[in-house]
Amino acid sequence: MLDSPSHPSDDDLLRLVAAGDESAFLTFYRRHQSAVFRFALQMSGKPEIAEEVTQDVFMVVMRAPKQFDSRRGSAAAFLYGIARNFVMRSLEREKPYLTVLDDPDHGYYGQLAAEEDIARDMVSGERIESLRKAVLALPPAYREVVVLCDLHEMDYAQAAGILGCAVGTIRSRLHRARALLMEKMRAAERCAV
Amino acid sequence: MNDDQRDLLHALRGLAAAGPQEAPARLEQQLLMRMRARAHRRRVVAWASAAVTAAAAAVSILFWTWAPSSTGLRGPSEKAAVAAEQGSTDAALSDATASFYPLPDAEALPPLETSMVVRVQMQGSALRLLGYPVDEDLSSEPVQADVLLGQDGLARGLRLIQE
Repeated sequence: MLDSPSHPSDDDLLRLVAAGDESAFLTFYRRHQSAVFRFALQMSGKPEIAEEVTQDVFMVVMRAPKQFDSRRGSAAAFLYGIARNFVMRSLEREKPYLTVLDDPDHGYYGQLAAEEDIARDMVSGERIESLRKAVLALPPAYREVVVLCDLHEMDYAQAAGILGCAVGTIRSRLHRARALLMEKMRAAERCAV
Repeated sequence: MNDDQRDLLHALRGLAAAGPQEAPARLEQQLLMRMRARAHRRRVVAWASAAVTAAAAAVSILFWTWAPSSTGLRGPSEKAAVAAEQGSTDAALSDATASFYPLPDAEALPPLETSMVVRVQMQGSALRLLGYPVDEDLSSEPVQADVLLGQDGLARGLRLIQE
């Protein structure tokens, strides 16, 4: 049964999607596409990967909506989990080309930016851009924790559910990731002075 | 939380708000098209499988209803004698019905003119009540059986389906 005609639950929508209901799929997509797309973009730094991942995630929803089990977590967590797998696969695939793609004209955000680049950007006032590069330069295990907890404002338990690890692991990775980011910011400020 | 940490969190909030926040609109259209294509494929497959099933059912019904029968089911020894007396067509029908175990009252019914077979599922114990020799292990199990119906819709014989 629907929660209310105007705001059906994710569970209800996915049941309707399983029956081939196009408008239910559209409602579900519009509700969650932003989070999935931003997650993929912030993890990969590339809009083309983010777009591909978003498409793949919702194709999974279209093909197998019954994979979602509300007893195991929210629909958002389910989608983040799928998106994470696709992002990791894309990053693996892109690995040999990262040096080439580091070209700022090619990539949307650039990849694996060197500390000197970040410092230079800080000096020129492009603070957000530099921080973005710094986040992208983090190892994936740290990057995903920063993206989920700091950029998507999830609590430790939600992030732990998505990443399939203990809350303590999230806490320690986030602590370490923030320390790495602060080091880069301090280095940038030193250069600015 | 020290100043550096506060500064970092503030910057991270700025980063979260920066850049594209939505997937491109064309993605929604692409997904919709894919969903429609999938729905179309599913409809075609459903129609095709329904058509195949209906055709198979029609063929089986035709097979059983067109086969004429001139005698009712008898006991196994009588069946063999009847088959020997009749021509090759009758012998073929007899072969078809010979695999059925005659039900207790089948001999009192009018002779078979046309026949039809219906597959049913019943308890092994129910088969035993009808006189069909069923193993003790199958008594409490659901078993599948073919029931031979005459032109009057009354059951003449029974055949256990061996899975």
